[in-house]
Amino acid sequence: MSYSSNDQQTRILYANELGKRVTSGERELVILESLALDVDRGESVAIVGSSGAGKSTLLGLLAGLDAPSSGELEMFGQSLSTLDEDGRAALRAGRVGFVFQNFQLLPTLTAIENVMLPLELSPRQDVAGKSRQCLERVGLGARLDHLPKQLSGGEQQRVAVARAFVTEPDLVFADEPTGNLDEATGKRIIDLLFDLNRESGTTLILVTHDMSLARRCDRCLKLEGGALHEVVQRQGVEA
Amino acid sequence: MNLIALSLKGLRRDLRASDVRALFMALALAVAATTMIGFFLDRLDRGLTRQAGQLLGGDLVLEQGQAFDDGLRQELRQAGLTLSDQVDLVSMVSQGDAFQPAGLKVVDDHYPLYGQVRVDRGDGIEGLAHGPPPGSAWIAPRLAQLLGAEIGDSVQVGSLALTITGLIDREPDQQAGFAGLTPRIMLNVQDLDATGLVRPGSRIEYELLAAGSPAAIDSLDSRLDALREAGVEIRDVRVDRPSLGRSLDRAQKYLSLAGLAAVLLAGVAVAMATRRYVDRHLDTAALLRCFGASQRQLGQLFAWQLAWLGLAAAIVGALLGLAGQAVLLSLLTRFLPLELPAPGGMPWLMGVLTALAVLVGFAGPTLLRLKRVSALKVLRRELDPIPASGWLVVAFASLVFGALLWLYSGDLVLSAGLLLGGLVALIVLWGIGQLLLNLLLAVLARLPQRGLSSRAWQLGGRQLARRRQASLGQLLAFSLTFAAMAIIALVRGDLLTTWQAQLPTDTPNYFAINIQPQERDGVESLIDSAADSGSGLYPMVRGRLTAIDGEPPRQQVPADHQTDGALRRDLNLTWRAALPEGNRITAGEWFDAGTDTASDGAVPISVEEELAGRLGLSLGDELTFTIGSDSITGRITSLRHLDWESFQPNFFIIFPPGALDDFGHSYITSFHLAEGDNDMLATMVQRYPGVSVLNVEALLEQVRGILGQVTRAIEFVLGFVLLAGISVLYAALTASRPARAHEGALLRVFGAGNRTLARMQWAEFALLGFASGLLGAALAETAALGIYGWLGLEPRMHWLMLIVMPVLGAGVVGGIGFLLSRGTRRQAPMESLRLLGET
Repeated sequence: MSYSSNDQQTRILYANELGKRVTSGERELVILESLALDVDRGESVAIVGSSGAGKSTLLGLLAGLDAPSSGELEMFGQSLSTLDEDGRAALRAGRVGFVFQNFQLLPTLTAIENVMLPLELSPRQDVAGKSRQCLERVGLGARLDHLPKQLSGGEQQRVAVARAFVTEPDLVFADEPTGNLDEATGKRIIDLLFDLNRESGTTLILVTHDMSLARRCDRCLKLEGGALHEVVQRQGVEA
Repeated sequence: MNLIALSLKGLRRDLRASDVRALFMALALAVAATTMIGFFLDRLDRGLTRQAGQLLGGDLVLEQGQAFDDGLRQELRQAGLTLSDQVDLVSMVSQGDAFQPAGLKVVDDHYPLYGQVRVDRGDGIEGLAHGPPPGSAWIAPRLAQLLGAEIGDSVQVGSLALTITGLIDREPDQQAGFAGLTPRIMLNVQDLDATGLVRPGSRIEYELLAAGSPAAIDSLDSRLDALREAGVEIRDVRVDRPSLGRSLDRAQKYLSLAGLAAVLLAGVAVAMATRRYVDRHLDTAALLRCFGASQRQLGQLFAWQLAWLGLAAAIVGALLGLAGQAVLLSLLTRFLPLELPAPGGMPWLMGVLTALAVLVGFAGPTLLRLKRVSALKVLRRELDPIPASGWLVVAFASLVFGALLWLYSGDLVLSAGLLLGGLVALIVLWGIGQLLLNLLLAVLARLPQRGLSSRAWQLGGRQLARRRQASLGQLLAFSLTFAAMAIIALVRGDLLTTWQAQLPTDTPNYFAINIQPQERDGVESLIDSAADSGSGLYPMVRGRLTAIDGEPPRQQVPADHQTDGALRRDLNLTWRAALPEGNRITAGEWFDAGTDTASDGAVPISVEEELAGRLGLSLGDELTFTIGSDSITGRITSLRHLDWESFQPNFFIIFPPGALDDFGHSYITSFHLAEGDNDMLATMVQRYPGVSVLNVEALLEQVRGILGQVTRAIEFVLGFVLLAGISVLYAALTASRPARAHEGALLRVFGAGNRTLARMQWAEFALLGFASGLLGAALAETAALGIYGWLGLEPRMHWLMLIVMPVLGAGVVGGIGFLLSRGTRRQAPMESLRLLGET
């Protein structure tokens, strides 16, 4: 079963018959099986599921951080299965942003240096200026030179959001972005994420178990038994 | 992606991290140590050659019984040498009614080629870079005393009257040999003819002294061989360095050893700091993979980053080394010529090369881990790439260190031997380390549970044993560190003890020769009455070696020693019932008491081992000596090692008592006279005018002085090695800080108080230090066996070290570790855990 917008021109991500198995001792463990997904440019898609359902594994596969055991996977119209790890990395460069549950800020880098990092990987003009703007956009204009340990959790995640959007990516993956934050801070981060998504027209794939967060996405898919099921979008959401 | 710019930026940001600082410090120290020692040895070597040249009178001294022809002079000048002519002869000089035999030293305008003549011209002693002008003479104070002459008096030399214008305090080329022992009178070469002393049949030695670069002298090698063949005696600074040679050779070897120890220590520090560096950068690498960096780019990025760090450390280290060698040289300035060549480029190059080699060798395999990191690690923290195998890291580092050893020593066999020995030692240490950790656990389990202290020791010990691999790694690194530090400190101590023992304060400063048998008792009692110490009187017979096993010596000795000095001049022979002090039998046996002949009637003789080596002599060979018109044959029954630096009468050949009774002999002795005690000398000169007394105080002082200065240099270098050792401790403890912080935070969450935590951490570090000290002491003792042989020192055990080192190790590691982990104890547990990504 495929969940798609069926528009080949605007397709950003496409998965078909996607499977992931790992061997643990003599046993083979099936994590994902015959999974299908189609995501269009500018869409926001939430992937929900219980703990251990394989959400992070799926995110890793979709972002090209890991290779599937079977099936087809395309990003920006390019088949990922024909690319090695370096090829997949090159495809991501400058076009994919990430927001992680544990922020993944480098502790010895200041806020602005953390934001500059993805920009520095490809030759660009005014790296520092863009990074500053981005940090100002997330409300941290006064904390550019602070180290992560000098920032609160919410502030650290805002730095991470700024870092994800600074390259003006086509696609942003967010893995439980509010998982380590209290409710109020989490809500502010989500507002920010969706604001930026809307402003830049970026495609957003969001993995979460927070249904209120999933509710704000255009589509919501539930990962269960190794496969994705569309959750009917209503005013409320079916969990 | 502009990797070079990015790596520079990354490095600048990384300077905040303690592991990068530890890496930088270790590398800079390695470079500083090698460049400092490189610069220093390079310049010292040149300085000492110059010094030796000064003692010889020139870099090259040619001597023969007739004047040298102009063709040879021309040749030497063309090779780039500066020449000075000198004539030596013995003649009677007189003043009024007083007549005395004197040693004439006739010098030209170029004298002295090196150094200065210290002379008193009536206004106190001053240093002059020339000899006496024509018409005047400078004389030794002893000659003035014997003649009853003063400055301004006239002295008759042959048929010429010269005015005494100075009293010689010291000649730069004063030698300890026994040629020209008669008191000195120095005059200008322009006055020589007028003295009328140069006549056919006169016993005159013509010397041509030459000064120049080693390369210039090297270029004359074949010409010098030809001159030797023609009977010219040649003293060459490259081979005839005076007796300082061995002590300084040891000092230079010591410095090289210390340099390598510093490099090894820095290498260990680099290896430890790199582990932490890599651990810390795994997240960066994973993130960069996420952002689209390829494996190759990652590898290049971090390689560049470390290369910049290496380069910066090399520059800082080389500058430190340059400053360090200036300090070392300033310690030695008194003995170095004024014009030292500027530091060469080689030590710089070697410094940079060392930094890169240490970086590649000790950090390389560990660094590869960064390249292998998976982008998925950003989602799953546990996905760390497998660390490089410890043995692979050790093997690769050993190979690189071995190559460095080879580069520095130029000795492949020695380097390979050291390397293999080191690896075997490491494997043995690994095994012993495992045993020690087990033992530690067993002992701790038996400790009573009561009291905070014993609980802290138990907890600390368990922490160590639980992190078995990390603890073993640290144990090995610290053992190696302590061993290297101990070896350098031990060798320093033993080197200095050997030197002090070699030249105690009562080392003879006077030699008396030509003591006739009837004067023997009188001279002996005179010396006993005034001298602090003496060697006793040795009979001396001068004889020339005229046959080896019945054949002319030249047919028997190896081709490269055909012109050996021992074949061309009389040797000093003596007899002795007991082995002289300071001599050691290296082959055969000393004479049996009371027998002077072997069973078949041959006279047994004992030969000095180096002479035997040069002439290809071995036990059982028969040597025939011609003494006057007679000869005597002896069979070699023992070879002896003797200490030429002892300032005692030394003999190449010793006969048993009675064997030389039929030959005329005189006596020689050496004794120590306190400074200013000249009455005895005056009495001796008056009572026994035939006895020649030679003052070697100046030479002795020079030897002592150089050893003293080198001692300070060695202590300076020791300080450097100790600093390198501390850098290892710092790097290692910095590397393990996060893990300890984590444990500490957890324990505090579980209710451990600050005091418990502090005691536990102290106990853990102290136990680690104790075990490392013990292992290090054992390793140092084992390694010292080989190193002492290499340095020519007597091996000895240092039992005290086996007690001191573990205690010191516990104190140092415990102390540094305790201080470095202070921050983690102060931090709230929540903060520690949050920083480690646990909350």
